[in-house]
This record gives sequence, structure tokens and C-alpha cells, in this order.
Amino acid sequence: MAHAETAQHTEEEYTSTGINHRKLLMWVFLSSDCLFFGSLIATYMVYRGQSLVGPYPIDIIDIPITTISTFVLLCSSFSMVRALAATIANNQKGIQIWLLITALLGAIFIGFQVYEFNLFRSEGLYIYTNLFGTTFFTLTGFHGAHVTLGIVWLLGLFFVARKGRLGPKTVLDVEIAGLYWHFVDIVWIVIFTLLYLIGGFDAGPTAVIGPAPSMVPLV
Amino acid sequence: MSSQSHGEHSSHPTLKQYVIIAIILFAITIVEFFIIWPYNRIGAASTPVLIILSCIKFAIVIFYYMHLKFDRRLLTWIFLAGLALGLVVSMALMTLFSSVYATPAPRPYAAANAVPYVHGEEGHEVASEAGHQEPVHASAEATHSEAESIGSAGESASSGEVDLGMEVFAGIGACGACHTVEGVAAGVVGPDLTYIGSEAASRKPGMSAEDYLIESIKDPEAFVAEGVERAMPGLMTAAVTSHLTDEQVDGLVAFLLEQK
Repeated sequence: MAHAETAQHTEEEYTSTGINHRKLLMWVFLSSDCLFFGSLIATYMVYRGQSLVGPYPIDIIDIPITTISTFVLLCSSFSMVRALAATIANNQKGIQIWLLITALLGAIFIGFQVYEFNLFRSEGLYIYTNLFGTTFFTLTGFHGAHVTLGIVWLLGLFFVARKGRLGPKTVLDVEIAGLYWHFVDIVWIVIFTLLYLIGGFDAGPTAVIGPAPSMVPLV
Repeated sequence: MSSQSHGEHSSHPTLKQYVIIAIILFAITIVEFFIIWPYNRIGAASTPVLIILSCIKFAIVIFYYMHLKFDRRLLTWIFLAGLALGLVVSMALMTLFSSVYATPAPRPYAAANAVPYVHGEEGHEVASEAGHQEPVHASAEATHSEAESIGSAGESASSGEVDLGMEVFAGIGACGACHTVEGVAAGVVGPDLTYIGSEAASRKPGMSAEDYLIESIKDPEAFVAEGVERAMPGLMTAAVTSHLTDEQVDGLVAFLLEQK
């Protein structure tokens, strides 16, 4: 414990900005990750509707299923803040339970993504099939990789918590993981809106690219 | 609470606030879903409305769940700087490639080379067996004339006409919404027109292919081809094509005559 109380885990530690260096680092990283995902999203939007071969988004995008997985990810953000609250309150059982639930919800989200990717493959959409496949799999794949990394991180924290090493003095450990986790959530908020709600009705190049049709398609 | 000892910049929202935030996020997502599913309820407004709603969710998460609102102002600036830079880069990219201001009209070359997607066995076969070579194959027969006409646009009047006809077919004429011409459009409501160029001449006794096509476009109810069942009330009527100019109709005829 003496080790934990040294500079590493006390927020009173002196820094020129008054912000713990690890926390600052995480925010700078998240800031740069905005550029990373921004570029991938822009690439998707640039090539939106440019595919010459099907399947096109309207053929395979399943909005109800993805809405459910979006809910799962939103729930995981809530359980993450509960884990942080439990850490602050030194509620050992709470820390473990909420961290585990968060990791589990993340894993369910990944499960949905694996299901979706497999479905798309069985419908004939591979990463090399068309521009839609290339940009879609690159963007959502990198997001999925972020979530997976987050799950590993949370499980790591869970095992640290099982040994009773998480508590008010190590709030920052949980807080930084939480920042990363919430960021992954907001990236998905953007992806869900642009690729599914808005772009999910895009058909081939013979059709008009724009808002979703206002009638239920007959065919 | 030990969080108190960290000063104002480390305080966190209460449990009750977190629950309220979660409910708001859920509610916005549900609203978003029902705006668009199973059909778009608010028309062209859906795109800006959905973007605004997702921005609200984005802001709620970063300010409350990531507690930027309660943290040092510097962190907000650091994050917003990256976010703004990301947005600028994205917008610049999209503007350069004109996907922001792109007209929602189909591009002739893309339209001419598109391969429609069919659900189920057929679509699977196309994708798994032919893979990405499919477009070349499919476009070879259906669009050899269009490919030429795009390459040598304006060289001869007829290739320009075919070109125009294809644009009308896939674009403002909206023919492709109901009719299929392989490689151009994949409508399934009306008869398949992929081979209309070789069939038109023998459809109506005593009528040339060209006259038959003009009549079929301008007055679709005058003659119904064998094996075609008309819907009640009829979908394909003169009203559907009345907005086309004579030039566009001639283009369509030229284009359809090429579909052999």
C-alpha cells in the first residue's frame, strides 16, 4: 500500500497543469483518436453510394439488430460509471460486479458484431467486394478492436479488484479506463447514426443517395 | 467521500444524475430508431435531425459520463481541439471529393456498370463464385454501347442519344424503379427490358421496333405485350411518362433498342 500512496496514485501530486499526467495522457490520446476515427468515417462518407457491385447497405444492414447492440453499449457506459462510483465509495463488491458487467456487456456488443460480420459474409460482402465493404469493415472493425482492447483492460482491472487493490486511492486507474470506454461508446454513437440510421438505406448507384425512403419499400 | 478531497475538479455526478442521463440517452436512441424505422417519418429532415440528436448524445456522454463538466477546463479544450481538427479534416476530405455537395443523381458510368444485388441463392452465387469479376462480365453485354458512348461522347448523334436515354432510364425517368435492364437497374415491378432491343420489332404486328417503343412509352396502355399482367389500377400509364420531353423519349428509345 505504501507503494500505492507514492506519486503514482495521488491526485495531489504536483504537476504544472494541476492534472495528473496519466489522465492528461489519456485525454490527449482520445483527442488524437478523434482524428483517427474522423478519417475513417470521412472515407466511408466519400465512397458512400459509389459501389458498383452489391450487396449494398440496404440489402444487408439490419437496423433493429444494431439498435439492440447500441443499447447494450449504452448500458455498458452506465455500468462503467457505477464501477467508478463504487471505487470512490470503496465498495469492493460493487467494483468487481460493475467492472465485470461492463466487460460482459462489451463482449455482448462484440458478439453482435461478429454475428453481423458473419451475416454480411454469407450474403457475399467481403472487405474486397466493393467500396462499401472496404470502408464499412475498416471502420467498424477498428471500432470493434477498440472495444476488444477495452474488454481486456476491464478484465485486467477486475482481477486487480479481486485482490482488493482498487479503492479510493486508486480511483484514477478506474477513471482512465472509464474515459477510454466512454470514448468507444461515443464513437459508436456517431457510427450508428451515420452508417446505420442515415446510410443504412443506400442502394446501388442507380438509386438516389439521400435520406431513407418515406415509404416501406414494396420489394 | 474521498472524491471531495480532490477538490472541485474531481467531483462526480450523483447516482440519481447518472440514472437520469442513462434514461435520456436511451430515450434519444429510441426516438432516433423510430424516426427511421420501419420507414422515414420526417422525410428530408431526417438526416439533420438524426445528426443533431447524435451530437446531443455525444455531448451528454463526454460532459457527464466522462465528467468533463466537472473536470479541469484544460481537458475540455484538449479534447475539443482534437475533435474539431478531426471534424475539419473529415469535412475537407468530403468537400474535396464532393460527397457533401454531391447532387443526388446517379452517375452515368457508375449506373452503367452497377451490378444489382439479389437476395438468397442467386446473390450468394454471384458473390461467391464470380466475386469482384462479376461487374466486368455483367456490363460486357448490357453496356458495351454505353461504355463506347461515354468514351466517344458527341462523336455521333446516336451514341449521345443512347447515353441520354440511359441517364433518363436510371435517373429522372425513374424507369429503373420498376424495370430491369441488366447492369443498369433492377426494378422488379414491371417487365424485364434487358432484351427489349431484339424483341420490340415482333411485339406488335405491323409496327416497327422504334414506333412500338415510342408508343409504349407515351401511351403504355395502348398495347399490352403478351404475358404481361397489368395491375389494377394500372401503374404504367401515360401520366408516368408525361413529364419527359420528346428528346428524352427519343433517347430512351435509342437506349432500349441497344438492349439486345
